Amino acid sequence: MVTRARVLNPQVFLELLCYAVFSVLTFYLMYSGKYLTYVTPRMAPYLYFTAVVMLLWAFTGVFRLFRPGNRVRVAHCFVPVIPILLILLPHSPLSAADLSYNYAGGGSFSGSAAKPAAAVSSPQNASPPEAGADYGAAQSSPGAGLPEPPVSNAAPFDASDDDDFEDVYVPETDASDKPVIEVGDDEFYSWLDELYMNLDMYVGRRIAMTGFVFKDPEVLGADEFVPARLGMTCCVADLVPYGLVCKYNGTGELTPDEWVRVVGVIQAGVYEGMEEPQIAVTSIEPAEPVEGYIYPFF
Amino acid sequence: MAIPVYVVTGFLDAGKTTFLNDMFRRPDWRDCKIAVFRFESGEIALETSVVSCTDVMFSKRELDAGPERVTKRMREVLNSGDFDEIWIEWNGVTPFAKLEEMLLSHALRDLCAMGKVIHVADAAKVETLLGRVGGALPEQIANCDFAVIRGAYTSRGLEKFRKLLSSLNPGVRVFGAAAGDDICRSLFRRKHSPWISFLAPLALAVALYLFAAPVLESAAIPVNRIVNVFLGIILQAIPFLLIGVMLSSAIRIFVSKSAIESRFPKSIGAGMLVAILAGFCLPVCDCASIPIFRSLVKKGVPLPAAVTFMTATPVINPVVILSTYYAFSGDMRVVISRVCFGLISAVLIGVAFALRPPKGEVLSGGTVDRLMCGCGFYEGAESVTTLRGKFDLLFRHAQAEFFDVGKYLVIGVFVSAVFQALGAGTFAAARSGAGLAFSVVLMMLMGFVLSLCSSSDAVIARSFANRFPMGALMGFMVFGPMMDIKNVLMLSSCFSKPFVIRLAVSAFVICFAVVFLFSDWGGVSLW
Repeated sequence: MVTRARVLNPQVFLELLCYAVFSVLTFYLMYSGKYLTYVTPRMAPYLYFTAVVMLLWAFTGVFRLFRPGNRVRVAHCFVPVIPILLILLPHSPLSAADLSYNYAGGGSFSGSAAKPAAAVSSPQNASPPEAGADYGAAQSSPGAGLPEPPVSNAAPFDASDDDDFEDVYVPETDASDKPVIEVGDDEFYSWLDELYMNLDMYVGRRIAMTGFVFKDPEVLGADEFVPARLGMTCCVADLVPYGLVCKYNGTGELTPDEWVRVVGVIQAGVYEGMEEPQIAVTSIEPAEPVEGYIYPFF
Repeated sequence: MAIPVYVVTGFLDAGKTTFLNDMFRRPDWRDCKIAVFRFESGEIALETSVVSCTDVMFSKRELDAGPERVTKRMREVLNSGDFDEIWIEWNGVTPFAKLEEMLLSHALRDLCAMGKVIHVADAAKVETLLGRVGGALPEQIANCDFAVIRGAYTSRGLEKFRKLLSSLNPGVRVFGAAAGDDICRSLFRRKHSPWISFLAPLALAVALYLFAAPVLESAAIPVNRIVNVFLGIILQAIPFLLIGVMLSSAIRIFVSKSAIESRFPKSIGAGMLVAILAGFCLPVCDCASIPIFRSLVKKGVPLPAAVTFMTATPVINPVVILSTYYAFSGDMRVVISRVCFGLISAVLIGVAFALRPPKGEVLSGGTVDRLMCGCGFYEGAESVTTLRGKFDLLFRHAQAEFFDVGKYLVIGVFVSAVFQALGAGTFAAARSGAGLAFSVVLMMLMGFVLSLCSSSDAVIARSFANRFPMGALMGFMVFGPMMDIKNVLMLSSCFSKPFVIRLAVSAFVICFAVVFLFSDWGGVSLW
């Protein structure tokens, strides 16, 4: 081996940079919770795996930094650079208005819009077995900068602690004088699930929940709308509105996609031959948009 | 002032000295003072009469004995006269990297500036030589700036060699020996700075995004949605792609070809059984199964079994079974139907390839690609013996494959994101109460276009549940994971075009037949 001058190999350097940036960015997305605007908490271990592998790759690249190379290529570096750029360049999480492109053309997703696709499965078995223990923790903080959820004075369980809510739950017998069920923004899906599972216990009770106005003439009547939240099953490509059908005579005056807080009485309604919880609306008021999606399977 | 160095590489008898003679006879070198260092003693003599040059020879033995002595001698020669150019005829069986090391040595660093590297090859021999004469030849080809083929006179002949050399050195320019003007032009063309060729498109892309995105949004093209969907699918796919390339590289490096050939079942039935079991055990989606498929084929696993593995894995693996179970609210009939249809289709596709084996080379790189890949390591995995060396090779190999397959993944996901943002509604609108056959075809096409990860497509299928019959959803869930835009693109990174087309068409026809027949037969009462 000849002792020689050390000259940086640009290709190795750029590749190393790509791995390192991708790794750091993935760690940042995980740490800040921003990854939840693209994928569900189920991806967390896989993304950590990605970040670690990329870090290893960057590390091993250090030993080749000064290897001479006559033919230097850089075009392939755009494979990781494109996702990196798009993550860094300004864009916003999707809202209901973004999805209306779908509904305009006959609605690919509106089929299941009015009801949660998997509401019949209880939270316990809804979380896949490969899901580690950290999913529960991940769910308690979906989306960065989420406003502090309103204290739910009637919540029978803590949404972040799905495992034992059935034990905590105390059956209600007389519902009329009970306080309003305040559905916290973090508990949206858990409450849908609970209402679908144990509808009989809640019929007649008052409930308040916040969502955007979702109207779809194909599946909903003229006096029906859904105060919906967007739910992600796998990634941002499959966002679907979730929520309860509300009976409200003034539905026609509601602007679609506007955020509202709905207060009403829970009743048993029928949708496509199946009994399901619905809300007879008593009052509607404008509300601040809620950031973040819901993750039905966690 | 450093003197520009031009290097001619090529195997013994490729015609390197003849090439030098041809060049120096040109008027461009009439007033040039040249130092020629030759590390090979061929049969042709250098014609020193036509050009003012100093010819110095080193034998391979001198080179192996001590590069320090060689570089010292070169320095003495260079200091003895006022040279305009240095030409080096490099040894055909010595890696080019060794010359690069020498030129960077303290003796030569200040005197030499690397110009161009020209690879000279003999049309009649290069194909047979590749893969037989060790790692130096492919390494030299991979490092050349352009190549000169001697003995290829037609443009079609040149094209063939361009393809061959491109598998080692993508995008390399290849000239015939007679194209002296073109060679000279390439010789003196300035090299692009890698920094500029990286940063310029980068800056352009950022500027384009910042300026074009608002314009497109106002033209009702949902850029924000496309970006979100793109990132959503990419972030889901990249971890699985990484798992795939790491596993497939591990197969390449730690499993020898002979071990697979001797252990893998010879009969097609047993081979497929192994393929299906392996597919069931690997919790990976289609992004991962394609790199594994590729290295299995390269390792000599029979094609029918490998095809069955590739098509079965994304449909029948445990993650997919679970996600289907949840998406359809625990409806076991859907889960069982999906797994069975997937299995039957995968086996039938494999059988189709067993009955009529594809003609010609399946792998697009031909013989060369079987032996080496773009990872820049040409000695073969067997020559690395230390564990650390093996792991280093594993990483480099996985990286090369990551970029190789990744570029098609990025393109495929982008196309799919655009379709999802713009065109998904048109598919749903096109249904209009047509027959089962039409809806099945429609949903299969949608699965092809949307390019969803197989671990998530069940949910999308579910969202179509009240618009399409169950049979159509089955078509979507069975065919979509096996074949879609991104899979076809990823496959074409390493397989020949006729093979990819045949695979896609057979998958389509067989999936359709299986779903259509079986859902008609047992499905009406089931669903």
